[in-house]
Amino acid sequence: MAKPVSLQNKEFGAGGKPISQKGESLWKDSMRRLMRNRAAVIGGSIIVLLLLLAVFADVIAPYPFAEQTLVDQNKLPQWVLSLFPTMEPYAQLSPKYFFGADYVGRDMMSRIIYGTRVSLTVAFIGPIISLIIGVIYGSISGYFGGRLDNLMMRIVDVLYAFPSLLFIILLLAFFRSTFARPAPGTFTYSVSQLDAAMGGLLFIFIGIGLTAWATMARLTRGQVLSVREKEFVEAARTLGANDMRIMFRHILPNVVGPLVVAETLAIPGYISTEAFLSFIGIGVNPPTPSWGSMISDGAQVIRTYPNQAVFPALALAITMFAFNFLGDGLRDALDPRLRGTQ
Amino acid sequence: MRSKFFVLGGLLIVFSMILGACQPAAVPTPESIIQTVIVEGTPQIQIVTATPVPVVPVEEMKVLTLNMGPGDIPTLDPSLGTDTSSIQIAVETFVGLTRQDEVTNEVEPGMATKWESVVNDDGTETITFTLRDDVPWVRWNGKEVEQVLDCEGNVRMVTANEFYYGIIRTLMPDTGSEYAYVLGMVMVGADDFNNGITDDPTTVGVEVIDEYTIALTFIEQAVYNPAIAGMWIAYAEPSWLIDGDDCTEARTDKWTETGFFQGYGPYTLKEWVHDYYLTLIKNPFWPGADNIPVPKIEEVTWTMLDASPAMAEYEAGNVDAVGVPLADMDRVKADPVLSAEYMVAPDFCTYYYGFNTTALFVDDVRVRRALSFAIDRQSLIDNVLKGGQEPAGWFSRPGLAGAPTRETHPELGVAFDADKAKAFLQEYLDEKGITTAEVDITLMFNTSEGHRRIAEAIQQMWKDVLGLDIKLVNQEWRVYLSTIKGAGTPQIYRLGWCLDYADANNFIREVFDQNGSSNPYTAGEPSGGVFWKNEEFSTIVRAAATEKDPVKRVEMYAQAEEIMVLEDAVMAPIYWYTRNTLTKPYVTRTYSTGGHEHIEKWDVDMAAKP
Amino acid sequence: MGRFILRRFMYMNVVILVVSMITFGLMHAVPGGPFDREKALPAEIIANLEKRYNLDKPLWQQYLMYLNDVFIPQFSKTAPTSNLEDDALITFKVSGNLWVRWMNFGPTFSSRSRTVNDIFRQQLPISIQLGILALTVALTIGVPLGILAALKQNTIFDYLGMSIAIFGVSVPVIVLGPLMIWIFGVTLKWLPPTGWGTKPPYILGIFPSDLSWSFWRTAIMPAVALGLGSSAIIARLTRASLLQVIREDYIRTARSKGVKESHVITRHALKNSLIPVVTILGPMMAALVTGTFVTELTFGIPGMGKYFVTSITNRDYPVIMGTILLYAVFLVVANLIVDIMYAYLDPRIRYD
Repeated sequence: MAKPVSLQNKEFGAGGKPISQKGESLWKDSMRRLMRNRAAVIGGSIIVLLLLLAVFADVIAPYPFAEQTLVDQNKLPQWVLSLFPTMEPYAQLSPKYFFGADYVGRDMMSRIIYGTRVSLTVAFIGPIISLIIGVIYGSISGYFGGRLDNLMMRIVDVLYAFPSLLFIILLLAFFRSTFARPAPGTFTYSVSQLDAAMGGLLFIFIGIGLTAWATMARLTRGQVLSVREKEFVEAARTLGANDMRIMFRHILPNVVGPLVVAETLAIPGYISTEAFLSFIGIGVNPPTPSWGSMISDGAQVIRTYPNQAVFPALALAITMFAFNFLGDGLRDALDPRLRGTQ
Repeated sequence: MRSKFFVLGGLLIVFSMILGACQPAAVPTPESIIQTVIVEGTPQIQIVTATPVPVVPVEEMKVLTLNMGPGDIPTLDPSLGTDTSSIQIAVETFVGLTRQDEVTNEVEPGMATKWESVVNDDGTETITFTLRDDVPWVRWNGKEVEQVLDCEGNVRMVTANEFYYGIIRTLMPDTGSEYAYVLGMVMVGADDFNNGITDDPTTVGVEVIDEYTIALTFIEQAVYNPAIAGMWIAYAEPSWLIDGDDCTEARTDKWTETGFFQGYGPYTLKEWVHDYYLTLIKNPFWPGADNIPVPKIEEVTWTMLDASPAMAEYEAGNVDAVGVPLADMDRVKADPVLSAEYMVAPDFCTYYYGFNTTALFVDDVRVRRALSFAIDRQSLIDNVLKGGQEPAGWFSRPGLAGAPTRETHPELGVAFDADKAKAFLQEYLDEKGITTAEVDITLMFNTSEGHRRIAEAIQQMWKDVLGLDIKLVNQEWRVYLSTIKGAGTPQIYRLGWCLDYADANNFIREVFDQNGSSNPYTAGEPSGGVFWKNEEFSTIVRAAATEKDPVKRVEMYAQAEEIMVLEDAVMAPIYWYTRNTLTKPYVTRTYSTGGHEHIEKWDVDMAAKP
Repeated sequence: MGRFILRRFMYMNVVILVVSMITFGLMHAVPGGPFDREKALPAEIIANLEKRYNLDKPLWQQYLMYLNDVFIPQFSKTAPTSNLEDDALITFKVSGNLWVRWMNFGPTFSSRSRTVNDIFRQQLPISIQLGILALTVALTIGVPLGILAALKQNTIFDYLGMSIAIFGVSVPVIVLGPLMIWIFGVTLKWLPPTGWGTKPPYILGIFPSDLSWSFWRTAIMPAVALGLGSSAIIARLTRASLLQVIREDYIRTARSKGVKESHVITRHALKNSLIPVVTILGPMMAALVTGTFVTELTFGIPGMGKYFVTSITNRDYPVIMGTILLYAVFLVVANLIVDIMYAYLDPRIRYD
């Protein structure tokens, strides 16, 4: 999924030239069509922007994300008050914080900016893990079928039979408590230090990763099952193409569309899993800012200080829009049957 | 375009079919309850459709809806109750030998109209309670509250036998009562029986003199003995219902379920839909007493909602009184209507940070004092807690019997003092030749939004005042409990304590004396929590328990507090709780300080209710 | 096909067994026990409680005992009593004095008067009802929106439809729930802010016995809040899939033969384009039923969700095991149905 994006500039540099039919790779062709899709381009640009925000958060954010000024708690600027006039009777104004300050007087804007780091990491790690493992696993299973398929799918079934949210909670409880306060120098100590350095994200990744790929494997298999019976696969087979070639040249390009869509659709799921974990109090460690924890904090005060829920939720929504439109564009672009039709 | 409607229509049809298929031939009314009726030893679920027979016309019936907080009520069994919700129901459906006034916490007559104390030769104290003889056992039969009859058809009255049964049942190891230790601590023989050292119940200091007289023997002549005798773990319990008799089937653990439950208090259980709501109905056979009047409100329902949804229900007019969520505090205080319905009342709990006095850095009393003095409790209350809590200078909350108050001891305990805090820390740093950067201290709390906010604010105070970067770690409750009870207790840990009975002994001695809940001992040596042994402190709190002179007693506890929070500074008291409630103007009520409301004293003006 | 289903059914048992093993191991590996209290209980009482719940036995023995209680039907000459230990989910009389008891999921440590089966009987139906309603909401919004977007690809309908769908998925229930309560429950007073308008007994043990307005008015907000997120997933999958299908040769053929466009879509394209949607229905239903925690807490619904979350923090082993196993069976069956539907919807798929 990352590949076509990285090719973007190169492709763009070569753009404008009439594209020759023969030497045109599938990816290049796809890119051309992707660039024509306005919504996808906007989505992609937003994601690039968010990535920049995440990388340069230290420079852009006006305050450190953990700095509390207790006396400034819940203060907000005039424009926010105008936006939510219900706060009139009790709102305390302060122009210092653009989106207002949170319940302990931390700048909401800085936290949202830093929060892109956590949320984007969550948004990328989940899909990457599940795409890599799931697609390879699923296509092998679906393509070869028979006993191998059966065996592989039973393994997936076991994972799949676990209600994923519940499994993640159980896994997190296990990891967190097993790795709680071990003696320095041990392996568990290093792991817990790494987790602490990541603000508690490591175990969340492991939990999500362990549960997410199975879905992708199943979906891939389903798609492969349906495509491998198609005429062009039969044709390739009779022409003597080997399994690897059929799989990667003929089948995968034909199934990748729905997979990409499913994966971009899953991204909100990953991010909201993180928010859910924060909501039940087992998310990232404080004061690590994540949109999920900000939203779940904000949701509690939604009637009193709606801005504290609305702004992080808006950040999340914009990100979702971006990922979804980009995913959609990718799907349209990657569908080989659309080649040359637009 | 037609396709869209095709699919939509199709879905609707399918769904209506699913629902149609589930449509019962005869829909039971919502009034129905499930009863397991044993026919020839065969349990059968019967749907008993109850026809409500209101005592007063429905429109005039006084009803009240309150909120219990999220989650099901753990138990209605008095022997097993440990939490506010369980005990709230217990105090309304049962009455102890004595009863504490819910506001002043004074010990008043309960089922016992009077009691006499005799000091025995061996120093033990026997209190003989005389019970009232006019209270029957009652149950809700699906239609109305009826008196429970015995096998001969006579009304079963509450007698000393059921009190004896209740106390022994609480203490039986098989019961697994978590609060049995309170009886074990004060009653002769109770601890051994509870721990299975003996299985002879006659060794326990409880004796039925006659049907309406019961004698309890206590180890010490402690001031709080009558209060403990009135606790829920010593309520009368229906032995015939739990263990069965000739005419009653044994319900064992299920005896507290809807349809089975029997009690004798001013209210009795009408319906308990697990995790959803519980309704108590007025017991018409409760004869009333000065301090436990005949209830005015006919039915009381508790919903089991989280704070925010409960607040929404209150504002929608469906719940009559509710705790104010912290999140809504600013809005409530600014709102002209809500602020008039808002009330802050004391709640007898203390929030504190304990120090592991054997852990690096905090093993020096100066560091502990510095940390304690550096906490700006008032600022925490104003900016984080917002509920009008009181900054805690010591542990035993004022208002408890024997506890010092700000009036009696204005200078006692700790208060925010940045200079003192800095001075203590500096002295330590200079002596050790280290800088603040080298001081590595971890504060641990159990995972919870509220504790996190407090910890974050205090972390910032320590940074601002002392320049210390304290690490925050949270653990999930069960793991946390095992952590802070053992050798791995972190340098600073969080806990709170709420009263079981309104006496300073319940706080100071039961929590911090040797083998207290925050100072566990193994084989006579400290093994967790604050890891603290101070003979002077132990001597004082033990002597204070039996001190009859109230003024002298307060003085002794003040001395003990001084040792605990200043001299040894084993803990930093943070704040004394308050309860922030909203009550509709048509409700007349009292505000309990112990957390358990006495609804029989409340009233509702139904005419004023919109 | 019959052989396939039979084989899958046998595998299913193996899968459930493996799931039970992993869960059992994992939950006992989490430190802290069910009887850890702030005021530590006397050792004797803990020992008694552990004996009562068989926690004093070696783990493997506990596991086997659990399997025996849950999976293996127990024959007994005595009639079941109302004792907690006697509470099997399925109890029936075989003959004169022979009784069969099956699926005794054990006690719950958090309530002394209830068993895991009690929780299943009283709380689970509510989560299932909520899940079904949410799925209905998701389908009624998602499928038409997806079809509309696909048929009008790259037009304002497409973008608008998809925007609505994405909005649904990107506003979490955590925010949407309180917002809906605020607007419709408190300010407008159209709907009750919280609650669930039905309680036991349920029809067939699952469905509400009362389907009057008093049920629906409590169900609307939570079902919409929970279903909206899934409607986006369905809308986008429908769109993607339909776009793919309408470019297939057989659709072109149908079109070129002059078949009416609406006929082409409804008769030919829709059926095939719904394959990915069907694939996701099983897991989605399961996700909706298991993912009701936030919705339940927000709307004060006495469902199953919070039992699982609190059971882990309380080390309520039988509830953890019971919930995971029950949901696992649910998921496995859902997957089996998906596979069968696959074959039905796309005859080119063969299981051999």
